[in-house]
Amino acid sequence: MEKLQDVYRIISNEKICPKFFRLCLDAPSIVNKALPGQFIHIRIQESLQPFFRRPFSISRAQKHIEILYEPVGTGTHLLSRKKKGEMLDVLGPVGTPFSLPPKGIRQVVMIAGGIGVAPLLFLSDILKRKYELVLLYGGRTKGHVYDMKEFKQNGCKVLISTDDGSVGVKGRVSKLFTKIRPDSQTTFIYTCGPRPMMASVQSFARGHKLRGQGSCEEVMACALGACLGCSIETRNGFKTVCHDGPAFDLNDLIF
Amino acid sequence: MNIAVKIGAVKFANPVTVASGTFGHSEKYYHLQEVKKLGAIVPKTVTLHAQTGNPPPRIAETPSGMLNAIGIENPGADVFIKTKLPALKKTGVPLIVSILGHNDEEFKILTEKFNAAGDISALELNLSCPNLGKKILAAQDPQAIERIVKTVKKISRYPVIAKLSPNVTDIAAMAKVAEDAGADAVSLVNTFAAMAIDTKTRRSVLGNVTGGLSGPAIRPIALYMVCKTAQTVKIPIVAIGGIMTADDALQYIIAGATMVAVGTANYINPRAPLEVLAGIKDYMRKHKINDIAQLRGSLDHG
Ligand SMILES: Cc1cc2nc3c(=O)[nH]c(=O)nc-3n(C[C@H](O)[C@H](O)[C@H](O)COP(=O)(O)OP(=O)(O)OC[C@H]3O[C@@H](n4cnc5c(N)ncnc54)[C@H](O)[C@@H]3O)c2cc1C
Ligand SMILES: Cc1cc2nc3c(=O)[nH]c(=O)nc-3n(C[C@H](O)[C@H](O)[C@H](O)COP(=O)(O)O)c2cc1C
Ligand code: FES
Repeated sequence: MEKLQDVYRIISNEKICPKFFRLCLDAPSIVNKALPGQFIHIRIQESLQPFFRRPFSISRAQKHIEILYEPVGTGTHLLSRKKKGEMLDVLGPVGTPFSLPPKGIRQVVMIAGGIGVAPLLFLSDILKRKYELVLLYGGRTKGHVYDMKEFKQNGCKVLISTDDGSVGVKGRVSKLFTKIRPDSQTTFIYTCGPRPMMASVQSFARGHKLRGQGSCEEVMACALGACLGCSIETRNGFKTVCHDGPAFDLNDLIF
Repeated sequence: MNIAVKIGAVKFANPVTVASGTFGHSEKYYHLQEVKKLGAIVPKTVTLHAQTGNPPPRIAETPSGMLNAIGIENPGADVFIKTKLPALKKTGVPLIVSILGHNDEEFKILTEKFNAAGDISALELNLSCPNLGKKILAAQDPQAIERIVKTVKKISRYPVIAKLSPNVTDIAAMAKVAEDAGADAVSLVNTFAAMAIDTKTRRSVLGNVTGGLSGPAIRPIALYMVCKTAQTVKIPIVAIGGIMTADDALQYIIAGATMVAVGTANYINPRAPLEVLAGIKDYMRKHKINDIAQLRGSLDHG
């Protein structure tokens, strides 16, 4: 059995647009095991501040482990200052991955709000060429939009909205729902982002009788299903985001 | 080097254990060989009937610690015994099963169930769960402590450890009540009643409004409580509170603790219990102490 917790070297840690960073880790043992929807739990530094580890979705697992992140608070700002060559204490991969589209699905629509795009990139790496891929991406401003090159290389059609209209359609990502032609038998949805956005995706999916998966966030301590601290209410009762999720059946989520 | 310790008539190979509710799914990050190194495992508290737990958010980060209001989410004793206990027994590590009854009768039935389940090293009575919305905890009421300890002691096949709450004026006095009622040991502390408020929303950060504080933030207070209790009772003490490193654990042992339990630290560093054990041995080697009993309670009052 390989160790679930280890220290790994940072290969790079760069800004990819005004608001987002990409961090690459030399972590072959994680690359070998990782599945889309899973995450890593990072100890930002060996001190009591920040106290908890911080969870980040795996955005790619090819040669290296990649995460995309947005500095929002103490932990993520400290992370953004890490240099190439430094070591990071990482637990993972952990969490229940996305389940793959069921039989009969031809079109996969990925709907992301902000940095929620991260796990969907890894997903597109796995689904490319097998499905018609569409990404609906909603960012707050153009600072929250990066080039999305990898999605396009995966043959994914990319549609963008921003709250202020600085890139793409002006408004929430739900403005883009009209641009796709979903079919209840052949379309499958994957979504990750802020709760109100996921709620709108859920009601859109219900309206069109679409099946799908949603990836959730909650404050985490252990990320191993031990503390029962990250539980959310679902249609099947309380479920831990770290162990039963982060990927859940979209229809089971309660917003 | 002798690091074995005893509670009642039961011997543990070493003094390092884990605090209830903080150590689960260990199979994911430990080799079985590593799990076997622990002196004992204490699983999450089990109640008679299943409990679904408190509404989220259930945890929050605080300076050098955390708040929790999990609400003793657990599958209930019967399901625990059927589905979780076998795997725990298979590790071969002594088990200290933590039980919580909502009244004396429930404590009695729980004890009977675990008597029947067999292969357990001790029972820990969770007298101190601050999360269930009661006005006063058993652990805050000397008469309740006495009654529950006596009730369980009368029928238990196993040594009985009373887990005490720090939310009292004099925890040493509560420990004495437990000792006089027949407890084989006391464990302290459980979490400190605490809260945090989100000023943007003026709401508590916890769904349950209040919760319990744990982690290094509580260690100096817990250490004081253990030290005071060690001077008051003769039964062994299992020290709990903010242990992250061997040095933290050694402070408790020097203050008089027989065993030490690693709690919240498991979330930050899953290997903390093993590092604590290795560090205690290193310290004893370095200071030429060949029996942990020589270290226990060796605080120099100067
Ligand atoms: C499964 C999962 C996957 C995630 N993937 C990504 C990702 O790929 N990229 C990314 O940028 N962010 C991701 N996040 C969110 C990221 O973990 C938080 O932004 C980060 O923890 C904030 O820490 P901070 O110290 O910068 O912020 P602070 O505000 O200082 O954090 C304070 C506390 O709140 C918690 N917290 C704050 N925001 C969140 C949040 N959105 N979700 C969970 N906990 C939060 C922190 O863990 C900490 O306990 C993910 C969260 C989860 C649960
Ligand atoms: C998330 C969480 C869950 C806990 N659950 C239990 C429990 O089920 N039973 C119990 O007796 N104590 C429980 N505790 C308390 C711990 O066992 C321990 O007494 C306390 O956290 C102090 O130790 P620490 O600072 O090392 O964490 C829990 C603590 C945390 C943080
Ligand atoms: S973070 Fe501990 S159970 Fe999910």
